[in-house]
Amino acid sequence: MSNRKTRAVIVGGARTPFVKAFGDFIEMDTIALGVTAVRGLLDRLDLPYREVESLVWGGVILPGTAPNVGREIVLDLKLDPGCEAFTVTRACASGLQAVTLAAAAIERGEADVVIAGGSDSTSNAEVKLPQKLIHAAAPVAFGKGTPADYLGMIQKLAPFTDLLPRQPKIAERTTGEVMGEAAERITRHNEIPRDAQDEFAVRSHHRAAAAIASGRFDEEVVPVQTPHGRWVHADGLVRADTSVDKLAKLRPVFAKDGTLTAGNSSALTDGAAAVLLMSEKKARALGLEPLAAFRSFAYTGVDPADQLLMGPALAMPKALERAGMELGDIDLVDMHEAFAAQVLGIVKMLGSDAFARARLGRETAVGKVDPERLNVHGGSLALGHPFGATGARMVTTMANELHHSGRNTALLSICAAGGLGAAAVMERVES
Amino acid sequence: MADWLIDISKNPQARSLIKTLGLPLPLPTPLDREKGPWSAHPLMERKVAVGAAPGAAMLAAISRSVAAAGADPYLDGATDTAAFGEAGEAYGHPPRPVTQLRDGDRVRALVFDASGITDVTGLRALYDFFHPAIQRVDRSGRVVVLGRTAGDSAESSLVAGALDGFVRSVAKEVGRKGATANLVLVEPGAESRLGAVLTFLMSARSAYVSGQPLSVTLRAKDMGANGTPPVRALDRKVALVTGAARGIDNATARRLALEGAHVVCLDRPADDGPTAQLAREIGGTPLALDVTAADAGEKLLSALRDLGGADIVVHNAGITRDKTLAHMKDEQWDQIMAVNLEAVVRLTAAIEKKALEDGGRVVCLSSIAGLAGNMGQTNYAASKGGVAGYVRGLSPKLAPRGITVNAIAPGFIETRLTAAIPVAIREVGRRLSALGQGGQPEDVAQAITFLASPGAQGLTGQILRVCGGAFIGA
Repeated sequence: MSNRKTRAVIVGGARTPFVKAFGDFIEMDTIALGVTAVRGLLDRLDLPYREVESLVWGGVILPGTAPNVGREIVLDLKLDPGCEAFTVTRACASGLQAVTLAAAAIERGEADVVIAGGSDSTSNAEVKLPQKLIHAAAPVAFGKGTPADYLGMIQKLAPFTDLLPRQPKIAERTTGEVMGEAAERITRHNEIPRDAQDEFAVRSHHRAAAAIASGRFDEEVVPVQTPHGRWVHADGLVRADTSVDKLAKLRPVFAKDGTLTAGNSSALTDGAAAVLLMSEKKARALGLEPLAAFRSFAYTGVDPADQLLMGPALAMPKALERAGMELGDIDLVDMHEAFAAQVLGIVKMLGSDAFARARLGRETAVGKVDPERLNVHGGSLALGHPFGATGARMVTTMANELHHSGRNTALLSICAAGGLGAAAVMERVES
Repeated sequence: MADWLIDISKNPQARSLIKTLGLPLPLPTPLDREKGPWSAHPLMERKVAVGAAPGAAMLAAISRSVAAAGADPYLDGATDTAAFGEAGEAYGHPPRPVTQLRDGDRVRALVFDASGITDVTGLRALYDFFHPAIQRVDRSGRVVVLGRTAGDSAESSLVAGALDGFVRSVAKEVGRKGATANLVLVEPGAESRLGAVLTFLMSARSAYVSGQPLSVTLRAKDMGANGTPPVRALDRKVALVTGAARGIDNATARRLALEGAHVVCLDRPADDGPTAQLAREIGGTPLALDVTAADAGEKLLSALRDLGGADIVVHNAGITRDKTLAHMKDEQWDQIMAVNLEAVVRLTAAIEKKALEDGGRVVCLSSIAGLAGNMGQTNYAASKGGVAGYVRGLSPKLAPRGITVNAIAPGFIETRLTAAIPVAIREVGRRLSALGQGGQPEDVAQAITFLASPGAQGLTGQILRVCGGAFIGA
């Protein structure tokens, strides 16, 4: 652990409401969403724009012509041009990756004020033309096309049905397996019944709805005015009135006799979230109250052909070990809910002695995750999952929760495509 | 080189025509083979049915192999589920009862732990498990029986013999489906060395190994390699392959390189073109050397020392000079002995002390003709039989250094050489095996690569036939 002066602290976080893809935010691309979140954060904390020295951004669907979304946000928002920026991609864990990179940079003394976060606009995902067309069109595109090139291009366009855009599927590149199918396999391998998944999804919705209704999310969510002039104030996917009976009616979506439905899987979403990190010294100098800091973080990988989404089962014990803690020492647990089955499967692995002995080199299980302390204000199943934003959303909610409740520690985790896992231990900072 | 029956087998219209006409053509099943490098989960999503005689001692090792390879275990009623629970839970492949298999379900492998059988009446457990289960074996499936090496008592020797005969027959019965059956006898205390052997025999890499007994022992000193991952198992190892220019040897060099080894490709100076090209393609080192030359040992020693010593030595170089004894010229005798036997012994002796690493591997190529004898091959059989004997004699000498010494005896392998055999004899050669077809050079390369891996520490002094359950010299 670093010494007090260069410890990186979280002084605040803000996010746009999360809405269903192809919904209210359809006209806002990932850069526009990111600008909204960062502007909201800086305005709420009343921080002069010129103080921001660096910006680290996370995203999965990066615009082909401007992949360094972070820098585009800096330029659009007219932060100081000297505020350098880069963009990272680690699938669903991109947001958390951005935040931990910012914390590490501050601890190394590279900067004192860094904004870190992430965004994704599934609505504005670019649809790919068949590569053979792009190759055929190259001489024409570069302005040197001869009549023979034009003819050749048209010839290469046949059969013309190839040109129809294909609906993108979230599938593993190496195994070809759709992520939902991998989650179905988790239910088989860990024997997780449908009703347990639906109950978990319902809990996520009810807790998120309660947080919205009580105003708990007011300090975190920034209202957004869309290009049409419409105001969006709250997360659009949360269903306060859902129930196990209602979810039981939904049909399985990934396998004929499967258990995963639209109700217990996270949905395609648009949104952005940002976190403001500073060196503790700088925060106190600016009169800003630190909320929390990172005690440790860990990233792991497993063979995607094995259990694609089990990464956190390895990352969480690793982060705990680095923090010198056991699961029993943790007050709050926040796990990204890609699928209810995935969260329940990981909880089962963490509670298994056999798993710990074979995969973690431990004598006994990591521990039992108390449902009362898990995702206390709901999770991605209810709120939605704009890939790059989720990590920053979780950090924001946990930092605020530790600060308000006086609890001491929180353990976060996110599973990601490619068999990756991410986890972090956060601790409250004394005022 | 193409096997015309396999070609017909692969054509669905031809198959159904033959079936309709009722032609008595024994269509062999094309074998499932693994093309790329070793994967971490060779049995991903496959089903494996496991049974055991009472008193079974190897269920824990079996469960670890099966679950880590990615397979779903189905346990026969009599088997103790508790031993399976741990690995199943750890890898997400919980054991299920075999009754959960539906009528038409096929399994990739049947594994039977017979280590608890101590006398004649105990053998009944084999019938009880296999009688209902044997038809469930999938095409290109596997049967593996595990037992104990024969101890001092007459009973233990009896049981080991019975398991051997049983497995050889099972191999003939399942061979039509392209499936194999093998026996592994495990010395008491050597259970920790069983895992990798079992995974190899269950995987697609052992496609042409059938009807064979293997003994897993503690003879070779432990080198602490138990946790070695199955992927890129030969990373940072130096392997010497003699006669690398063509055929089986070429396939062997390629496969060793795929698993991460730096391969020294040795062949005659006359073949230095193909040898150098092979070495370039796999990132290895070419070495042009006449293995029968007087200074061959010295040259080899210095070349290997430059690379820091060899971990794996594969003696592939071999020639034939067929003639019946009465008409054999003396140089035909002398050349065979020089290349096939003398060179093997001399080169191994030259590098043994100074350029063969502890924990290393020596693999020699014998031949089933050498084991069985063949018309016109008194010289060849003497040399290849000699290699087998040499392996048996050398293995205890090198065991204290953790070095294993084994021989591979290929059966009928489809190569340039066998393509040149007159067609009638070639057909007979192909069909006289349980699998009803010839093997590929790839099959021998896979077996050699397995013996070269850290997981094969329990195998030494063995002659492993890669023959598809051939009838010759069985």
